[in-house]
Amino acid sequence: MSDAEDTAGAGGTGSLGRSVRRKEDRRLVTGHGRFVSDLQLPRMRHVAFVRSPMGHARITGVDTAAAVDAGYRVFTGADFAGVVLRARSALPSYVETDQPVLAWGKVRFAGEPVAAVVAGDRYRAEDACELVEVDYDPLPATVCAWAAPQVPVHAAAPDNVLLERRFEAGSVEAAFAAAAVVVERELVTNRHAGNPMECRAGVALWDAAERKLTFWSGTQVPHIVRNMLAELLDLPEGNVRVIAPDVGGGFGVKAVLYPEDVALCLIARGMPGVPVKWVEDRVEHLAAATHARDHRYLISAGFASDGALLGVQADVSCNVGAYSVYPWTAGIEPLMAGGLLSGPYRLDNYRCTVRGVATNTAPSGPYRGVARPASVFAMETVLDAAARELGLSGVDIRRRNLIRPQDIPYTMPSRLVDDSGHYGACLDAALEALGYEQWRAEQARRRAEGGAPIGIGFAVYNELTGLGRAASAGPRMPFRTGHDACTVRVNPDGKVTVFSGVTSQGQGLETTVAQIVADGLGVGYDEVEVRIGDTDTSLWGFGAFSSRQAVIGGGAAHRSAVAVRDKVLALAAGLLEAAVEDLRIEGGQIRVVGEPTPRLSVAEVARVAYLESNRLPAGIEPGLEATQFYDPVRGAFAAGAQAAAVEVDRTTGELRILSYVCVEDAGRVMHPQIVDGQIAGSIAQGIGGALYEHLVYDEDGNLSTGTLLDYLMPTSAEIPELTIGHLARPAANPLGVRGVGEGGTLGPNAVLAGALGDALGVAVDTLPITPATVWSLMRGQEAGS
Amino acid sequence: MKCAPFEYVRAGSVAEAVTVLRDTDGEGKILAGGQSLVPILALRMARPAVLVDVNRIPDLDGVARNDGSVRIGALTRHSALVAQTEHPLLAEAARWIGHAAIRTRGTAGGSIAHADPAAELPAVAVGCGATVHVAGPAGERSVPATELFVGALMTGLGEDEMITGLDLPVPARWGFAEFARRHGDFALVTAVVAEIEGEIRVTVGGAAPVPVRASRAEAVLAAGGPAAEAGRAAAEDLRPTGDLHGSADYRRAIAGEMVRRALAQAGVGTGAN
Ligand SMILES: Cc1cc2nc3c(=O)[nH]c(=O)nc-3n(C[C@H](O)[C@H](O)[C@H](O)COP(=O)(O)OP(=O)(O)OC[C@H]3O[C@@H](n4cnc5c(N)ncnc54)[C@H](O)[C@@H]3O)c2cc1C
Repeated sequence: MSDAEDTAGAGGTGSLGRSVRRKEDRRLVTGHGRFVSDLQLPRMRHVAFVRSPMGHARITGVDTAAAVDAGYRVFTGADFAGVVLRARSALPSYVETDQPVLAWGKVRFAGEPVAAVVAGDRYRAEDACELVEVDYDPLPATVCAWAAPQVPVHAAAPDNVLLERRFEAGSVEAAFAAAAVVVERELVTNRHAGNPMECRAGVALWDAAERKLTFWSGTQVPHIVRNMLAELLDLPEGNVRVIAPDVGGGFGVKAVLYPEDVALCLIARGMPGVPVKWVEDRVEHLAAATHARDHRYLISAGFASDGALLGVQADVSCNVGAYSVYPWTAGIEPLMAGGLLSGPYRLDNYRCTVRGVATNTAPSGPYRGVARPASVFAMETVLDAAARELGLSGVDIRRRNLIRPQDIPYTMPSRLVDDSGHYGACLDAALEALGYEQWRAEQARRRAEGGAPIGIGFAVYNELTGLGRAASAGPRMPFRTGHDACTVRVNPDGKVTVFSGVTSQGQGLETTVAQIVADGLGVGYDEVEVRIGDTDTSLWGFGAFSSRQAVIGGGAAHRSAVAVRDKVLALAAGLLEAAVEDLRIEGGQIRVVGEPTPRLSVAEVARVAYLESNRLPAGIEPGLEATQFYDPVRGAFAAGAQAAAVEVDRTTGELRILSYVCVEDAGRVMHPQIVDGQIAGSIAQGIGGALYEHLVYDEDGNLSTGTLLDYLMPTSAEIPELTIGHLARPAANPLGVRGVGEGGTLGPNAVLAGALGDALGVAVDTLPITPATVWSLMRGQEAGS
Repeated sequence: MKCAPFEYVRAGSVAEAVTVLRDTDGEGKILAGGQSLVPILALRMARPAVLVDVNRIPDLDGVARNDGSVRIGALTRHSALVAQTEHPLLAEAARWIGHAAIRTRGTAGGSIAHADPAAELPAVAVGCGATVHVAGPAGERSVPATELFVGALMTGLGEDEMITGLDLPVPARWGFAEFARRHGDFALVTAVVAEIEGEIRVTVGGAAPVPVRASRAEAVLAAGGPAAEAGRAAAEDLRPTGDLHGSADYRRAIAGEMVRRALAQAGVGTGAN
């Protein structure tokens, strides 16, 4: 990793751009983190769910008598039948699905909750689950989105298609007619999931006297959860408080409101004054938290003889699982795949049909990079295939087609507007850092003299980050996620407390917001404390997804800090009888331009604002606080390029990554260590998806990879040393930042499949790339030659 | 993922452990390092009525040289197997078991008794021709490792028997090769080569329900054939089943390659002997 300076506890002249010590780390690394599972409340009871052992079945009976006789509280689908989770969208063709809180009538995936029991501890709760008898009448299951449907998952969608949309620009026919080559591929990507270290968790408490619900939840989106719970439980929104304390990873999996969440709140309402807790275990998580990336691309692309990309035609099927995920809808993956398939490449002629297909598998939802690890793989694969046919290098064909700075703003064929154009610069920097020419020479040497084959692979991508109201309009949901709010309060002692709508699952938002506020206000980083994750204290934030928080939540923090700074200066100007324009704040001290010593501190101004109203200048209200929203309206594209050199063991099919490089344009880098951590972590997850992680269902809809013994996550031993570089081209927002939370996941599928193709001359059409698949590809090659 | 209820007994001696096991009529289970048993309990795939904790029984751990073999106590932790120097093949194989936390708790006796077809120690036990010592209510008996393993996760141990230790012959030359998907995973295939009393023994783990001797590979070597040919012979001998991590053909190919690598490490079949 690139070096990140450690300037602990920086005060004084600006903390942005430096790796200041993270605010949250003292508690997190000393074992004082406060996660939902740490919460202990008086009278707390524990919930466990009875889950469907079948992929698709009619429920013919639920017998709770034995559990009730043993003294347990039991809830079944019938108890909560009045509440369903229905993700809404105004897109034509969209079929809404009713997701029950606890299944009744039928179950649609193995692991779906059917009943809930309440007990004194989790052990007894699981004993009680065994006492609940559910009778099932099995139905044929459909697990593959591009196989003929068996019995429809939902009667309202007889073909299982929940959503279909066509993107169309120019004329693909004319483009293909003019093309020197048209490459055509069928590509299948592997279902996998975010798998945060902390699984889902919640505690719900109903205060019957106040008619108030408190829900502690390891969620990425507390305000959205509050809004939806209020609607589903028919409560005034002000009577619902959602608290997301420390959260151990999210990656999108926790940006969903789940039936288990709603069940907990409904159970709590049935047991006033008794906090009910559910902490998901890994088996439940693998089976019933959202999955992702189970796609098929039928893609053709036409190129001129010089490598110019003339047209792309694609048919994309995404397995969206048993329900349209709440509240993001079944459109989340297909719409992203179709909207960004052409990525950072100039393209005029485009036709792409995307569909979300229901199956008897766990619902698909947002997962870091949403759809693009798959769509980038598809696009880069056809580029590599065409390069091979045209006798061009992988580098040349990419350079030939990348969106350039002079093309900006560039309207993509899906009508998204790219504001970056720095793709070529990222690719060049990545090749340089990789030592591209040396690896090519080594590859040639090994080909001539023998030795394990080496291959080089690339991916160039555009990551759409920080979507404002215009850019977030695509899914046509009943809400637009373009803005966040932030409150900056200077306390009477001059220290600063910030109530921000952002949330953190480990990515250090307390630190980032503190840096922004410290610099915006003109006080030291150590003077600022940030509170997040509680809907009773922060005004509004949509939460963590779409690499949005640094841009949007950060923008709101900046605007609020500047507003408070303006008031501090106005007040100081009155006290000093100086002109506002002549005053500067730095490190909490206010000085008059040109004078060597400060005249006043922010603390003295705060004292006047709260305690000495007799000194308040005329026309200035008491208090020092501001709340501002920020909405960037559009989004900020972040350019990125990754490249790697890999070696293949011909005897075992093992891939060894010799060097892995990523160069991204994060815009202005606010905290180098956090930014590099985001990029490294997302590349690691991308490598996991490319080489290891695979959720496999059998024909009956049973999950064959139900524990971490079979679902292989990469460990530190599997992730190579990463070289990370930056291209800091400021974006057009107050802080000049672009999101970096997800981009890293976009590269590895394409990079590693491309490198393997380059090493062996094979075509990688399915993921993940396991030693066994490499070995089969090599055997197929021997058989063919 | 929480265990079903059970009773817990901490045994102070082998005699006490087997007595408790006998009295539970097959409903009892020994708890050693817990690294295989506890996950199974948590998944409720096993629900013994009584757990007999043997961890505090004295004098059941340690590795001691005894002429041509080492005596390994049943409670010897994998980490101690790695650290010992009397049996280098054993040390190398134990290094491949799981991760540090698992090696610190998991025991030699537990690994043998659990009889996972992909586990390292059963393959080494068969590969070196170990003798396993077993105590029961009626007294002690000794079983050759080759007879102890009867199927995947199945041994010839009675429900009231306990492994107390094993004698593992020390090979003159040895090789060990393993292929796993990730660092620390159970093997797809392991190959153990051990020269015991002048005989080259080739054993493959992970490719059958129990570790198996590759007799055709051994014959190739006995006839002076090269390692690569022995590897191919071993592969042809095996009838593995395919699973999520590789087809039967793939496992067979990997087995041949691991045998070749283990032979190369042992310096056998290089044409020089
Ligand atoms: C994440 C993970 C990775 C692992 N990877 C590997 C690996 O790569 N290779 C590998 O070989 N193992 C691996 N293991 C398993 C580990 O090696 C275990 O330690 C071993 O399989 C069992 O030993 P134990 O002492 O923990 O036995 P326990 O789990 O306590 O018991 C296992 C079984 O043996 C019985 N038993 C235990 N001791 C005796 C005895 N003295 N006599 C009779 N019966 C007895 C128990 O009743 C039980 O049925 C892994 C485990 C984990 C959790």
